[in-house]
Amino acid sequence: MSDQVTTPSLSRRRLLGSAGAVGLGLVIAACGSDTKDAALSNSTGTGGTTPGSATTLATPGTSGATTAGTTAPTDGGSVDLKVAKLAASLEVLAVGTYKAALDAATAGKLGTVPAAVGEFVTTAMSQHQAHLDAWNKVLTGAGETAVTEPNATLKPTVDAAFGKVTDVTGATMLALQLEEIAAATYNNAQSVLTDKDAIKLAGSIQIIDAQHAAILHFVLGDYPVPDVFAKVDMAAAA
Amino acid sequence: MKLLHRNKDQIDEGQLEELITESQDLHLDAMRDTMAVLPNLRDLAADRRRQGAQLPTAPELEAFSDARSALVRTLGLAAGGIAGFGALTALLSRPAAADTALDVQILQTAVSLELLAVATYGAALTLPFISDGNPVIIKFAQTTMDQHDQHRQAFSAQTKALGGVDQTATNPKYTPIVEAAKPTLAAPADVVALAATLEQVATETYLSDLNMFTDVTSRVLMASVMGVECQHLATLRAVGALLAGAPDLIKIPIGADVAKLPAAAGSVAFPDAFEGVAMASPPQEGAVK
Repeated sequence: MSDQVTTPSLSRRRLLGSAGAVGLGLVIAACGSDTKDAALSNSTGTGGTTPGSATTLATPGTSGATTAGTTAPTDGGSVDLKVAKLAASLEVLAVGTYKAALDAATAGKLGTVPAAVGEFVTTAMSQHQAHLDAWNKVLTGAGETAVTEPNATLKPTVDAAFGKVTDVTGATMLALQLEEIAAATYNNAQSVLTDKDAIKLAGSIQIIDAQHAAILHFVLGDYPVPDVFAKVDMAAAA
Repeated sequence: MKLLHRNKDQIDEGQLEELITESQDLHLDAMRDTMAVLPNLRDLAADRRRQGAQLPTAPELEAFSDARSALVRTLGLAAGGIAGFGALTALLSRPAAADTALDVQILQTAVSLELLAVATYGAALTLPFISDGNPVIIKFAQTTMDQHDQHRQAFSAQTKALGGVDQTATNPKYTPIVEAAKPTLAAPADVVALAATLEQVATETYLSDLNMFTDVTSRVLMASVMGVECQHLATLRAVGALLAGAPDLIKIPIGADVAKLPAAAGSVAFPDAFEGVAMASPPQEGAVK
């Protein structure tokens, strides 16, 4: 396992880049033009609460943050639902990918699977299913249809990447990418969510996904807390 | 005053009419007085923000909140059901500048937790069983202390950006707890347990705070810090478990020894699918008095 750790077969940036989903997109895409305009007008001071605040969160280590303005968009309901759909689609993708990894491991396609890794996959899959259920509850509660399909933007790339996985390290790296995308997406969503329950739910799930990522870093031989501030540049776009 | 005679199930219409008249008078008086004062309050708050003046302190806000609540309760009892009362209640529920003041309190409390974390990791690094112990734990303590200090700086800067006063004291609730624990720290596991408590308090506090913010920049910043504190917590949970059964596996990179990790190492760091807020500190806890 250790020698495999040093030979990454997947590039996080490549995964995101080829999927056309590198950060920044959620705020703008989720808000739509009306909200975008509203958010931009907020940044001019009509609704802002931060004297002299910039339109971007200039926090060390958070490249690509896209907070537009300092107050939440006005058409929060539709934005919240867009975020919920995006989140649910990512959770479907995560559950499906972990399931595929379990199936591959069971079929002996990944070699010997360490007990801790097997336990991780089972636990993470279960937790992502719980996250999916939570978002679908939000959606159906608002009269929307539950999301059952994986994120259409990322799915082809993840499938292609998974097709190249031949061992536990490769599967672990792919899992890390998905967890970091999810955590960044939830972090980024804080800039557009308006419903208090949705804000709390996204925050709660961000925590668990970030913790998944920390343990995966450790398993891959890396320091488990690599950033001073959680990054949002890997956030998925709606 | 009993409006409903239980035995007869009849409303005393005379008393009801008298109460409604009394309530309408109260309502009109309150509306007149409140509407007269609110513009001045808004202007005052705007002026204070423009001048960079200090926002209301925690005791001031608390007193205001108590008075407001009492007024709302009084009017609610007297004028419940009167048309238009809801609008008055809504006005009274949103005092001028109070939202920003709450944002500031949240940030001040966050600073107090970060200051305590920095101090605690700093103290831990002076303990011989830490400073002479596992290099991964030493690196973790040093790195985490530095990360908390950067979080403190970011929260302090945001506090000032909102016109608030920077908090310079460690958290008043947990500082005595840490001080009481220090003499009892006899092994790395004790330090890990104490640090995990502080990290969980920080993580849950920030989670609890997210939907209280009115300032989105502050909220995103807090989410960004929360995403790191929870990783500290996850790491400490894993290290704590390994200290109990396989301390030799606390190493980075773990390499081929990943195969020796107990199965529990794959789940101990995140025992629940959702993070709770039971250990969250309220916004006022570490606010500048």
